[in-house]
Amino acid sequence: MNRRDFLKALGLGGTVSAASACTLDDNVYFTPVEKVLPFVTRPEQTTPGTNSHFATTIGTGPRAWPVVSVHRDGRVINVGANDNTGVARAVTAANLFELQKHWSPDRVTAPRKDGAPATWDDATRELVGKAVAARSAGKKVAYVGPYRSGTIVDVLRTVTSGNALFFEPLGLDAEALAAKALFGDVGLPRYLLDDARMVLSFGAPFLGDAYASPGLRASFATAKSANHGNYVARFVAVTPVKDQTAANADDWHGCVPGTEAMVALAIAKLVADAKHYSGPATAMLAAANVEAAASASGISAETIQSIAKAFAMESAVALPGGINGASAAATRLAGAVYLLNHVSGHETMRPGGYRGPISSLADVQALVADMQAGKVGVLLLDDVDLVHALPGGTFAAALANVGTVVSLTGSPNETNAAAKLWMPTHDAFEDWGDEEMAAGVLLTRQPGATPRGDTRSMGDVLFDLWRALDAATAPALSWRDHLWTVWARFAPVPAPPEDAPADWTPPPVDISAARTRQWLDGTLQRGMVATGMAGGSLTVTGSMDLASTAEHAGDGAYHLAVYAHNFKLDGRYANEPWAQETPDPMTGHVWDTWALVHPETAGKLGVRDNDEIKITAPGGEIKVGVEVHPCVAKDVIAVAMGGGKTAASGRYAEEGRGANVLAILPDRKDPSGAYVVQGVKVAVAATGARANLVSTYGNDDDADRNFAVVCEAEEWSKVGDAETEHVGHLNGIHHMEMDRRLTANESAWRKQNPDAEMEKTSFVDFYPVPDHPTYRFTLTVDTNACNGCGACMVACQAENNLPVVGKWKMEKARQLAWIRIDRFFAKHTDDESPSVHFVPMMCQQCAHAPCESVCPVLATYHTIDGLNAMVYNRCVGTRYCANACPYSVRRFNYHSYVWPEPFNLQLNPDVVARTMGVMEKCTFCVQRIRRTKAAYRAEGFTNTVPNEALNQLTACAEACPSQALSFGNLNDPESTPHKTRKSGRNYLALSDINTFPAVNYLSRASFHVHRPHHGGGGEHAAASGHETEGTHHEPAHDAGGH
Amino acid sequence: MALVDPIDANDPGRPNRPATYGETNRDIIRVLLKPTVGWAVAVVLAAIAMVYGGWCWYQQFTWGMGVSGYHPPIQWGVYIVTFVFWIGIGHAGTLISAILFLVRSRWRTGVYRASEAMTVFAVMTALLFPVLHLGRCWQAYWFFPYPNQRQLWMNFKSPLMWDVFAISTYFTVSAVFFYVGLIPDIAVFRDHSRGLVRRVYGVLSVGWRGTHVQWHSYMGSYGFFAAFAAPLVLSVHSVVSWDFAMAPTPGWHSTIFPPYFVAGAIFSGCAMVISLLMPMAYLFDWHKYVNTWHYENLAKMCLLTSGILTYAYGMEYFVGWYSQNPFEQSIFFWRATPTADYGWAFYLMVFCNCIAPIAWYSKKLRTNHVSLFIVAAIINVGMWMERFNIIVSSLAHNFDPATWTTYAPTWIEWGVLIGSAGWFSFWFLLFSKTFPAIAITEIKEMVAPPVRGH
Repeated sequence: MNRRDFLKALGLGGTVSAASACTLDDNVYFTPVEKVLPFVTRPEQTTPGTNSHFATTIGTGPRAWPVVSVHRDGRVINVGANDNTGVARAVTAANLFELQKHWSPDRVTAPRKDGAPATWDDATRELVGKAVAARSAGKKVAYVGPYRSGTIVDVLRTVTSGNALFFEPLGLDAEALAAKALFGDVGLPRYLLDDARMVLSFGAPFLGDAYASPGLRASFATAKSANHGNYVARFVAVTPVKDQTAANADDWHGCVPGTEAMVALAIAKLVADAKHYSGPATAMLAAANVEAAASASGISAETIQSIAKAFAMESAVALPGGINGASAAATRLAGAVYLLNHVSGHETMRPGGYRGPISSLADVQALVADMQAGKVGVLLLDDVDLVHALPGGTFAAALANVGTVVSLTGSPNETNAAAKLWMPTHDAFEDWGDEEMAAGVLLTRQPGATPRGDTRSMGDVLFDLWRALDAATAPALSWRDHLWTVWARFAPVPAPPEDAPADWTPPPVDISAARTRQWLDGTLQRGMVATGMAGGSLTVTGSMDLASTAEHAGDGAYHLAVYAHNFKLDGRYANEPWAQETPDPMTGHVWDTWALVHPETAGKLGVRDNDEIKITAPGGEIKVGVEVHPCVAKDVIAVAMGGGKTAASGRYAEEGRGANVLAILPDRKDPSGAYVVQGVKVAVAATGARANLVSTYGNDDDADRNFAVVCEAEEWSKVGDAETEHVGHLNGIHHMEMDRRLTANESAWRKQNPDAEMEKTSFVDFYPVPDHPTYRFTLTVDTNACNGCGACMVACQAENNLPVVGKWKMEKARQLAWIRIDRFFAKHTDDESPSVHFVPMMCQQCAHAPCESVCPVLATYHTIDGLNAMVYNRCVGTRYCANACPYSVRRFNYHSYVWPEPFNLQLNPDVVARTMGVMEKCTFCVQRIRRTKAAYRAEGFTNTVPNEALNQLTACAEACPSQALSFGNLNDPESTPHKTRKSGRNYLALSDINTFPAVNYLSRASFHVHRPHHGGGGEHAAASGHETEGTHHEPAHDAGGH
Repeated sequence: MALVDPIDANDPGRPNRPATYGETNRDIIRVLLKPTVGWAVAVVLAAIAMVYGGWCWYQQFTWGMGVSGYHPPIQWGVYIVTFVFWIGIGHAGTLISAILFLVRSRWRTGVYRASEAMTVFAVMTALLFPVLHLGRCWQAYWFFPYPNQRQLWMNFKSPLMWDVFAISTYFTVSAVFFYVGLIPDIAVFRDHSRGLVRRVYGVLSVGWRGTHVQWHSYMGSYGFFAAFAAPLVLSVHSVVSWDFAMAPTPGWHSTIFPPYFVAGAIFSGCAMVISLLMPMAYLFDWHKYVNTWHYENLAKMCLLTSGILTYAYGMEYFVGWYSQNPFEQSIFFWRATPTADYGWAFYLMVFCNCIAPIAWYSKKLRTNHVSLFIVAAIINVGMWMERFNIIVSSLAHNFDPATWTTYAPTWIEWGVLIGSAGWFSFWFLLFSKTFPAIAITEIKEMVAPPVRGH
């Protein structure tokens, strides 16, 4: 072969082999061919690739909350806020845990009989047979469930012949008992916080999910805002543990657990005296004794008197204790608080709260006695874990004597582990239903998709049972039609025809009538039927004995305080990994159970953080890790509920087990029969072992770095948040010059002041400040409104497919939280205990982002809208950006995380799921921004998207129950961020390091900060008090600061 | 390279020079003979360490960076510490071979070849780390400006990108310089070997015959590369220091970093040369060529750079105080707090880098092999700790106090660190057995030339 032939052969051979190397096989291997076929018949209400929204209700009883369930291609993927009902617009953490509960891999989604799968026919036949047999044998058919309201309650009561119990171990039964004793059968009272100048709480965790009145968070934020009126409400908390709610208190008085009733009564008496009260409650107040209350509680008599004085003076509202007040005097505490509100005459407590059934512990104990005596033939168990909640294993023992235990819920727990028959019913996303969260507000629930498994509506299951037990009275309709009929009664009555006879009556309710269907559609879209709000005021019609003493069970040296876990609550969400992995607002702990111990008490016990202690109570002992914490009264050991759930409650409950503090309590109830957890004295000893607690929190104070900034409440009250020349002048920090410079470098202000401002504020910088001609997306974070409830973190996790990393990876601090809440303690001038600041921290979308310039492969870059975009699939994982980020908000995928099926079905298809080795971060929910922009463009809208469409756009802002977060376009003069950026409270995180962040922070108002005003004469303080908005006065720092 | 006066007869540290060219050849070629037990054991140990490190990397490759101790906000740790450590080690080799050549410092002759080899292998070791510490190291080629249809490009603002070019340039130049210097010596090996080995050396010696023209070209190119490599000593570690100085992180964001890093690099490199050459001289019985004279000069280099470092440490504190920058003050105060999380690391560093070298101010200790070896080892530890302090403690005490936390390396990271030492030693040992670790050519320049009739 000569050279030419060789080259020819080589050329041919090379071409052929190269061609064969990239045949179609390759393509098949790497990218499977997928054929896109259109639906022949499109599913109703579904456009593939877009979200469908259904107004519905999540939660039961007083915890019911109007929301929008978000569906994609037939599966529920998120929960959004419903602003059509007039009830508070928000998404709470608990709502999202219900979403996760829906997709829980541990959920039982098909009927089971004796451990084997069964059909619904079999299961129903079994249930009916057992129930009929029980009835004929003179035994009871009973039901135990959480608080429920609305139409289902009557059905449950009828089917069980009145043996339906609605009980939750969160201390609301005392309040119901007290309300009934004092005011008669009007349900719980409603508290009006909005206009109160003082909020006095005896422990109720009303800013979290553990206290059943969701709207209180928004009301409280309103009361705390100087923009609402020219005042800032003062929040006083009397409770042994400064939990997430009490952390927001301006004055926290850590009392001895169980003595709140004495203090409340003493204050009520003092207020009554100050107001010269002479109504029906006078006799009940006679038992008050300020000195006794002071000595028992550890709060000085002067303090009690000054609280009473303040309470009497201006509009004020007192809130009872919730679970934190559930001592042996629980009902008396609630009664005393009601009377306090009553005698003050402020009319801040009105009728019209929750009026559904609330069973007391006494009711439950009666049922337990019946069960033990073998008088219960069939026990229907709903979603409440009494084995976990009741001490001494009494419920577990009694269950053994019940003929047939039926689980009506698919969520496993320690109680229904004993069930022989599982009849899992629909959850909130699958069922029809209604809830009367407050008198006159009937929230509707509708399914947005087909059920996840083979479940049935609880109403239909109960109707079947009803028909078997008493065919004569049983409704013939299905549960849904029954509900519709009930709702349609509230439809407007048709006008009589013109030729109507004199005795014309409106036609009966007919849900098949077009007019009714139309009304029903509107109602379902709104999510609420208004059935007539209760008005008027509460009158004291009955009386109760309010005398109480400090009554403690046990004889240890320390008081045990039990409080609700911020997310797991009483343990009901222990199997929801989001609830386990969202850091506790006060301590940053995830998973597990911990005990809060005051530093002095810790010194006495000789323990440090994370040491294990043994707590011995009359009912048993537990071992927990210690968190040395300033926000708990001395000699009090505070342990959160919700731990100690076993594998019976699911895999995540087991992973984050901890200890169940309820299990070691003595078996007792208060004189009225209410549930009691407080007022136990325990022996505590260090075991010498180390616990394995995991906290995500770093330093407790902000080291004067102006993350947590305060303004004086009085100063702010005078000027509000109006735009001002001196941005941030209320904050007393030295950032103002920089902030002004920043303002001038934003396009909006540059356009307004083309020359003058720029000249004054221009400065030399290495890289030019990016221009944002159309949008500069900005988030305003009002740290005064933020109460640390954590809804934003969970909402972000749900929206952005943030994986749960699990406990052992959390031990290495690998949390993937795009938004976190920094909790800082600060000691102000006259603080007795540290003030708590919650500072939500997310990507600040800096104009000069340190992360952008250091990325070697341009995986992160600045968009023209002012976002720090992140291209996940370009990232190689140098993690340099995270090191350069001054806010430490970038998160790294240390592993590829998996969602066990079917959690993967909850994933948001609009957000890519990241894999191992990639950096990720908040981008202000850019998928929502894109979607909104596209929607407006599709409508032919040519201007920028208006403020209304952006204000609550991000998942965190949409969720926030206090509306502490507002999103918007800084370039739009109408937007909240634009306005707040020029307010007197505005500050930027680390504004003097030239990052030019987009996020505005508004400082927290404090009554404990007394800044020395400049000039040595307080002229400024005096002057600014008389000035109106917009007038010029020099910021406080100018003379003295520099 | 003909120096005016090869060895000053009055120099007290004057080495026992070999008597003849032949003796030089024999002494150095001797290493090619049957391996000693000591050498074989060393190679096996290095190979084991290397394989172990590779296995640890495999774990990380499979399971993700999560097998390390990193967590936000401490996203760099042992890997980058070790990267900077090895890069720093390399600098002394270039300093000795290039800068000392240009300034005609005679004592470099005995040690420069081994130092240069150390440079090349240290950079090879260092190069592992930027790849190894990536979350997705299989995408490491994205660092290079390769043409692609998607028009993806790199970010030339990023100091990591500067690193890519600085280090690849450094590696290329060091390797070429090293090889050019080796050519005449390989020819000597070629001439003393037989069979296949001779052919290999023959190829590697690129036809060196020692003609006048060849020597002329050789000397010219050697000088050129020396001049080319000399500024790299300063530039590469300056660029590496910008990885830190360009980020706003307190404790990193400092203009003092480039000179401070270069001084540290030379400090650690010279100590490493002592640590490497002393055992080699004992192993191969090369005391004629590498001896106290060299060690002492290296120790003096260390003393100078230790002084610079101590000044830099002090200056960081002065600037922290003088700038009144609260973040700066906080990090340096915290670092030096003995009870703080990394107080021990700081004081270990100060002891190793500032206090221990003081011993060498004593002539007696400076010329004592045991003390030389011990202090050099201490300095090596100290310089690793210095990078640990800079990188880890700054990240652990970042801007937002709510994120302050600590970092502890896992056994995977220690495994990779040990593996990198194994990798380095493995190459170095192989080199010392197959190539002249002492520059035959230059040693011969110091030997009295063979004179007919002598």
